[in-house]
Amino acid sequence: MSERTENRTQVADVDRSLYDFTYSEEGYERYDDGLTPDIVRAISAKKDEPEWMLAMRLAALETYHAKEMAPNWGPSIAGLDMDHISTYVSPRTKQAKNWDDVPDDIKNTFERLGIPEAERESLAGVGAQYDSEIVYHNMREDVAKSGVIYTTIEDALHDPQWEPVVHEYFGKLIPPADHKFAALHYAVWSGGSFVYVPAGVKVEYPLQSYFRLNAEGAGQFEHTLIIVEEGADLHFIEGCSAPKYYEANLHAGAVELFVKDHARLRYSTIENWSKNMYNLNTKRARVGADAQMEWVSGSFGSHVSYLYPTTILAGDRSNCEFTGITFAGATQDLDTGCKVILNGANTTASVDTKSISKDGGCNTFRSSVVVGRHAANARCTVSCQSLMLDDISRSDTIPAMDVRNATASVGHEATIGRISDDTILYLMSRGCSEAEARTMVVGGFANPVSKELPLEYAVEMNNLIKLEMEGAIG
Amino acid sequence: MAENSTVTLSRVNTPPAQTWNYLRANDITLEVPFVSRKGDVYFALPRLFESIECGMGQQVTEWIESQATDASYVEVRAGEKREEPIVVTGMDTGVMVRAGAEATVVVCVGGAKGSVGSLSASSAAGETGQGPSESANEANASATSKQLSTSAALVRIIAEHDARVHVLEFVAADDEVQHIESVGITADARAHVDARQYFLGAGTTAAGLTCSLNGSSARFDLTCRYLGREDERLDINHVVRMRGRNGRTNVTESGVLDGHARKALRATIDLVHGSSGSEGTELENVLILSDDVTNKTMPVILCDEDDVAGNHGATIGSVGPEQIRYLADRGLAEHEAEALYVRALFDESLIAAPTADVRAVLLERAKAVLGEDIANDLVEGLELDAVAHEED
Repeated sequence: MSERTENRTQVADVDRSLYDFTYSEEGYERYDDGLTPDIVRAISAKKDEPEWMLAMRLAALETYHAKEMAPNWGPSIAGLDMDHISTYVSPRTKQAKNWDDVPDDIKNTFERLGIPEAERESLAGVGAQYDSEIVYHNMREDVAKSGVIYTTIEDALHDPQWEPVVHEYFGKLIPPADHKFAALHYAVWSGGSFVYVPAGVKVEYPLQSYFRLNAEGAGQFEHTLIIVEEGADLHFIEGCSAPKYYEANLHAGAVELFVKDHARLRYSTIENWSKNMYNLNTKRARVGADAQMEWVSGSFGSHVSYLYPTTILAGDRSNCEFTGITFAGATQDLDTGCKVILNGANTTASVDTKSISKDGGCNTFRSSVVVGRHAANARCTVSCQSLMLDDISRSDTIPAMDVRNATASVGHEATIGRISDDTILYLMSRGCSEAEARTMVVGGFANPVSKELPLEYAVEMNNLIKLEMEGAIG
Repeated sequence: MAENSTVTLSRVNTPPAQTWNYLRANDITLEVPFVSRKGDVYFALPRLFESIECGMGQQVTEWIESQATDASYVEVRAGEKREEPIVVTGMDTGVMVRAGAEATVVVCVGGAKGSVGSLSASSAAGETGQGPSESANEANASATSKQLSTSAALVRIIAEHDARVHVLEFVAADDEVQHIESVGITADARAHVDARQYFLGAGTTAAGLTCSLNGSSARFDLTCRYLGREDERLDINHVVRMRGRNGRTNVTESGVLDGHARKALRATIDLVHGSSGSEGTELENVLILSDDVTNKTMPVILCDEDDVAGNHGATIGSVGPEQIRYLADRGLAEHEAEALYVRALFDESLIAAPTADVRAVLLERAKAVLGEDIANDLVEGLELDAVAHEED
């Protein structure tokens, strides 16, 4: 275990300064707040994009303005005013392949978050985004030699070999008209990753992208496009954080994942946005025959989240596993869950989620399982467990199932409750304080999720839980 | 002079918390007859009933109140054990079950115009308001693509402390009927309400039931059995508001879907702040017999209190191959095995039927669905003739 993780295994060693630090934006390029065609053109011009991309951005902007938010949806986002959000903020630096070439303040940020260290120890490649632009991108040579492409979408668009591929896949799984914030994303997207894993290649170590939003009153709109060709295998990790401000920030990214026949993709996320963040992110995967999609998701931060990763099991015998945990503390209203669409025959899906509500935090778990007419013998199970740690918090479970095949089998179970007094009493009789006992139970509750994460992230998640549990008693 | 027209009840029968609109599982939109009642005096229920939340929502309540002749109010005195069921015969009914009393409330709809049983309507839209009692509950209306006659019932029940209330709902009408049924119940301390719903036929059945457990240690048990076949549409909304301390709720729903049936069931257990010590459980089992079926299930738990337990579960599928093999070994073909599940629905409903009139409605529907021979078997098996004769 690294020194960094070792140092952070005690609650006392973890404090908010790990995430809540910021550097001056002086000298940064910052576009005006609000959304206008001129801003969209400026972003496109800055990136020297092909014509089709500019046309797509402008059409998406129109869609954004035309689309209404559903009046019956989730937590309020009334505090989000796009007229007070800058959609493009960038440090004046070029993308580096060596951390020494990254400006000091930005390098310090990622070092404090442990990214370079993690890269050295256990990753096949790293992309680091600071505000609107990727500032560092690198991949191990042996992985590059196997034909794996891990770059920014901007760079892929400037490569004659990959521009047609981006054109073919970009915006196809999440169309701009999908919902209002998908349209916003396509109008102003910037940064993110393009990953291509050739057929049959198994990437032994994970690739990781880390997104840091440093600027106040700004939005981050990265786009991640991953194509895992037939028989290939990839683990991709996404991390994100931001310092806390009193002004609203917005994250409206998009993740499009294409998992071809016989391929496997694991997509792990630890999201720890600051509590002034509106996290309105869209993730979607299309899975081919005999292929496997695994999601591991930890949501700890943000003021309001709308996050429902979607898996389309298009190919026969394809499989999806979703494991997630959401921790909502004071001032947080997190609306999370997942969607699974079973279209292929003999497809299987398993959803296992946990949520913890504390200090007035609100958790809403939503899921939808749709079994299409041709999904013969499809199987899906959904399990959702919610833990209430006090009587001022809230936890709602809103699953939906739409089944249109007689041979399908869909099961759902959910429980909501609190830690039993007997359990706490038992642990206290063995020498634990009440606070330790509660932290231990919550840690055990979250264990099925943390054990699915890479070690570094499991430790980070456990520390986040411990941090959130501080002051839970009295 | 009364003017006949239709109005649209848009997005009714909604649950307190909703899912993605594109799934089209949140609500139902109904086209219903509307007869202008200008100049009529409507004798409504006591104001107390206005505060009761009904399953299909305020829009349906207002429409039914606008179309009913007069409201019907029944009171069961404190401590009285009323043997004779209260059979709902009008569109708008209020039942007050006083402290410690016990009563059974029955709603039954059947036949070609939804007219058999408690709803004795016989007139079309143009005739509403003419009879002294019940003619407003049926009208010809266009719903979906074919002409359906519409029947409707709004039932509001107040169970005072320590009261015991049994609610029985039977919908066993022909495909030409669109039935709308909205029920609202409040239960005070230690009141125990049990409801049994049998939705066994109608072109469209839209039913909502809300029970508010306001008092401490109140209890609500709901059993809902349904059958959807051919082109029938079922839209069901169950809401239990657990407000008092130490409340108990147990909701079980199960049914069989065949043909091109479309069913949406929304079930919400709302553990309101202050309901500490309460427990709510909800479970649905759906048997799907055809690939042309659309089944939508939405079991919801809302929790605003920590010292509570909320559980829900749902299983959706077909008869398992092991079960089919087991029955095949005993000489039953697959379709015969599946028919057993349908027969069991009628069996159970007939056992629950409290009057000969209700049994007659159910048997008529059983004949249409299962055939005369099996319906006769049911009669013999349950010795219904003897019971009917005794009542005669």
